[in-house]
Amino acid sequence: MTTNTIYQFYRLLEKDTISFSYRGSFSNNVLTMATQLFKDNVEERHEKLRNKLSFLMIESFQNISRYADSEEEISLDDNSEFFMTRNIGDTFYVISANLIDNDKIPMVREKLEQVNTLDKSELNKLYREVLTNKQINEKGGAGLGFIEMVRKTKGKLPFDFVTVDNKQSMFFMQIELRNPKIDDGLPSISLSDAKQIQALVAQENILMMHKGDYSEDAVGPMLKMVEENMQNVSLKIHKKIFHFLVEILQNISKHSYALNGKHEGIFQIGYDHKNFRIGTGNFILNSKIENLKNLLNMVNSKTVDELNALYRKYLREGKITNSGSAGLGLIDLARETLDKINYEFIKINNTYSFFSLTVKF
Amino acid sequence: MSEPINLEKTKNSPEIILDKGASIFKIAGRSIVEDPKDFYTPIYNWIEDYIKAPLKATNFVFDLEYFNSSSARQIMEIIMLLEKIPATGNKVKVDWLYEEGDEMSKERGDEIKLVSKLDFEIKEYPAEDF
Repeated sequence: MTTNTIYQFYRLLEKDTISFSYRGSFSNNVLTMATQLFKDNVEERHEKLRNKLSFLMIESFQNISRYADSEEEISLDDNSEFFMTRNIGDTFYVISANLIDNDKIPMVREKLEQVNTLDKSELNKLYREVLTNKQINEKGGAGLGFIEMVRKTKGKLPFDFVTVDNKQSMFFMQIELRNPKIDDGLPSISLSDAKQIQALVAQENILMMHKGDYSEDAVGPMLKMVEENMQNVSLKIHKKIFHFLVEILQNISKHSYALNGKHEGIFQIGYDHKNFRIGTGNFILNSKIENLKNLLNMVNSKTVDELNALYRKYLREGKITNSGSAGLGLIDLARETLDKINYEFIKINNTYSFFSLTVKF
Repeated sequence: MSEPINLEKTKNSPEIILDKGASIFKIAGRSIVEDPKDFYTPIYNWIEDYIKAPLKATNFVFDLEYFNSSSARQIMEIIMLLEKIPATGNKVKVDWLYEEGDEMSKERGDEIKLVSKLDFEIKEYPAEDF
């Protein structure tokens, strides 16, 4: 994860009103929170789609765990599973990817090709057949899941298998949910977009990524989600992640440049077998860059002892105004991070720039 | 005597009990409010009034699992108000509680103890079982 890849991701997700992705081994917790995140943040005009979306997220997610070989030990940073939900215009996408044994591919392919060719009444018929069939295989009647998904989307289920080695492949599937009452006229995004994002997320060791509106209201549910999903790390790491996120996300909601009334931002949590990284990106007015740069360079030039002294002085004297409390937050970040605060400003136009930063711990 | 303050905790703000009659002074939970000044002003005003005629012994408890940097400043303001109590001939003590294993809360307590002029004790309590 670098300040520059944060910008690359932002570009890839530029059209997304909200998007959330998770890579690693899954627990139901992730699912609960991801569905909650979308429930809380889906715009009002899509209210009728909420339940359907939750349903599809759950089906898709359970499909991953059904086909994934779950005997392996859960680790934080494997590439065996990937899950993503995106809202672009008036359409929602639920993308899943998981490792599958190559010898299971023909069976899965056959089921998907079958449901993709059937019309509504044929799907209903097949659904009833599978439902009453007592010989459903021990993996839990995955066929039923596919039928449900395709019935709810009223479309096809794009899928693909990307070979990993001679034993396993990555199985990608995408569900598209359109609001039938609103047609945004946007073309569907292709499955290759999802494959590109998954590959980049894996390459950059990113565990969790969110893009959306970082106004005050949006920060709370996100923190909650991160908190609930970090239960398998130590309390110490858990607290640090939470601490960094609060400071950084609140900074975005307070100081970022609002495009069309939204404090657009992106955040990522990464883990590279040794260290955690948090990265964020948001827009900032060009006129604010110099001050922020000075502040960042100041905190980066100091030792931990100097930063502690500075922080303690501020605690008693409180010379920092409300808008300047960003200073206290940055001092705090700088003294906790194992490295300097890495940052980059990428000029977008004469008014604003993209500001990204990463911290390591 | 000021009416007691009894605020329930929310997802962003701590539980606060300030009750002179019952001798309970406590801030517990998390404080990640975005505008802590607005949130803490009534608390600050209450304590400012209280220190004019404090109890013989005030035991102020902080049990904060988490606070953001702008809340840190407000917590310090409260501590600096409490520092005025000894001049009235009364006693004051701060208990800073943290859950076992929560190094961050302990370190934050150590730091505030370092900059405060109060009788300040840092106490660990056992982690909750899940």
